[in-house]
Amino acid sequence: MSVPGERLDWRAIGTASQPVAWGAAALGVLLGAWLLATTVTGIVPRNVLPSPVELIARFATLVVEPFSGSTLEGHALASLTRWVIGVGAAIGLGVPIGIVLAWLPPCRAAFTPIFEVLRYIPPFAWVPIAVLWLGASTTTQALIVFIAAFPVCVINTQLGVAHVDRILLFAAQSLGSGPLRMLARVVLPVAAPFVFTGVRIAFSNGWMALVGAELVVGKQGLGFLISQGQANDSVATILVGMVTIGVIGSIIDVVLQRMQRRLLPWQPASAHSGTGRR
Amino acid sequence: MPAPSNAKMNVSGVSKTFRTRRGDVAALARCDLAIGKGEFVTVVGPSGCGKSTLMMIAAGLEPPTTGDILVDGRPAGPPGPQRSVVFQRFALFPSETVTQNIEFGLRVAGLDRAERASRVDEQLELMGLVQFRHAYPHELSGGMQQRVAIARALVVRPEILLMDEPFGALDAQTRTVLQEEVSRLRRVMNYTVMFITHSVEEAVYLGDRVVVMTSRPGRIKKEIAIPRDAAWRGLEIAEASNYADFIAYKRDIWNLVRAELVRA
Repeated sequence: MSVPGERLDWRAIGTASQPVAWGAAALGVLLGAWLLATTVTGIVPRNVLPSPVELIARFATLVVEPFSGSTLEGHALASLTRWVIGVGAAIGLGVPIGIVLAWLPPCRAAFTPIFEVLRYIPPFAWVPIAVLWLGASTTTQALIVFIAAFPVCVINTQLGVAHVDRILLFAAQSLGSGPLRMLARVVLPVAAPFVFTGVRIAFSNGWMALVGAELVVGKQGLGFLISQGQANDSVATILVGMVTIGVIGSIIDVVLQRMQRRLLPWQPASAHSGTGRR
Repeated sequence: MPAPSNAKMNVSGVSKTFRTRRGDVAALARCDLAIGKGEFVTVVGPSGCGKSTLMMIAAGLEPPTTGDILVDGRPAGPPGPQRSVVFQRFALFPSETVTQNIEFGLRVAGLDRAERASRVDEQLELMGLVQFRHAYPHELSGGMQQRVAIARALVVRPEILLMDEPFGALDAQTRTVLQEEVSRLRRVMNYTVMFITHSVEEAVYLGDRVVVMTSRPGRIKKEIAIPRDAAWRGLEIAEASNYADFIAYKRDIWNLVRAELVRA
């Protein structure tokens, strides 16, 4: 992750020194350009891109009136449920497996080749077989989320555990600690930032895969809402769905980042942003 | 040199050979060393002579290829608080506060809360860490981190304290302060210590006996006893360095080490 201001001192440029102000300004410019292109000048026709005002109106309608079976909240809730189940299972299985793989080299040697092949099958490629096995159910969707989220949980946990300095284990041993205490009090805390980064990426990977899967299978969810918008020639519906997807995803990420800072107070500040790999 | 009858720890015929892809590398060749109860033994030698390997073996953290480590005449067995270790790189648990780090060994030993608290407080006081008790390691300077590591090793009341170049990673000023501190502690508490260093001055200043090692594969080349009642004991290093006998010990031991550096 890049850090703006590393090479350039933003404060030297203008009065707005807060990142929030810059973000708000950019959003304002985007909205202004959008208004200008649609409502004000009418250069872009309505059926291509509705104006922000129309979008808000469509949003309000979708919140109260069911569209393709559910309100916007209903669709969002369906997606969230599958998301949480899938990512939860990925964390619950992936983190322990990652620990075992890092801790026991023979297991790692045995498991890695299979894992590497499975990892390169895109989550969507599992959709047909998942439908045949499980039908067009919540379980199918959750399975796709799981497949998208699981590898990063395993890999980041494994990296985190492998990252633990051996000398810490020596120190614990020389104070009489057994392996279980070492795992709980030394290895896991030191690996935690990596694991946490893995969890954040798992949430984001799972979300992407879920929306994709909902486009092709199912009768509910934000992806389904978008595909129904297409079927009904409603660009506004599609855009409302897309923005909702983006906002929910980023809110969850912010919440997870806050949690990380709260749960791991012992880390130097710089370690919070970019540990692990994507 | 025959083992003193009151030896706390014996390094007996210990050698170590590492298997590498390019063949076997002998790190230690048959070392015999006896450390008496309450004795402060410093081990000095050229870098790469296997003195850290010797310490890892003495701590039970690495198996010797041949030989044994005896404590009170019996095989020392797996590592444990009976032989606690202070490492060059501090090795503090990063997710734990100063207090929690020091408490670690006491929790392993299953001491009750009141006993743990009183022992930890005693160490915090002794090492001048009271105001840092709730700090995390990354918030402390290197010198402070090493104080915590020393406190963590002492609080379990080890039979023997093993120190592996504990001040090697510190700046010169901090090192001097900690050397004087350890010298003071040892005069008060009378610990049994095996202290690895590459600094001849440190070895002379702290040791009751200085063990000089050869270059790789490390053997024990010579042992020099330094009187406990030397006139400069208890003085700061800068003052001690004015004493003729201190200078003579430093020069003689330095010559022994330098001969090994040339050979290596």
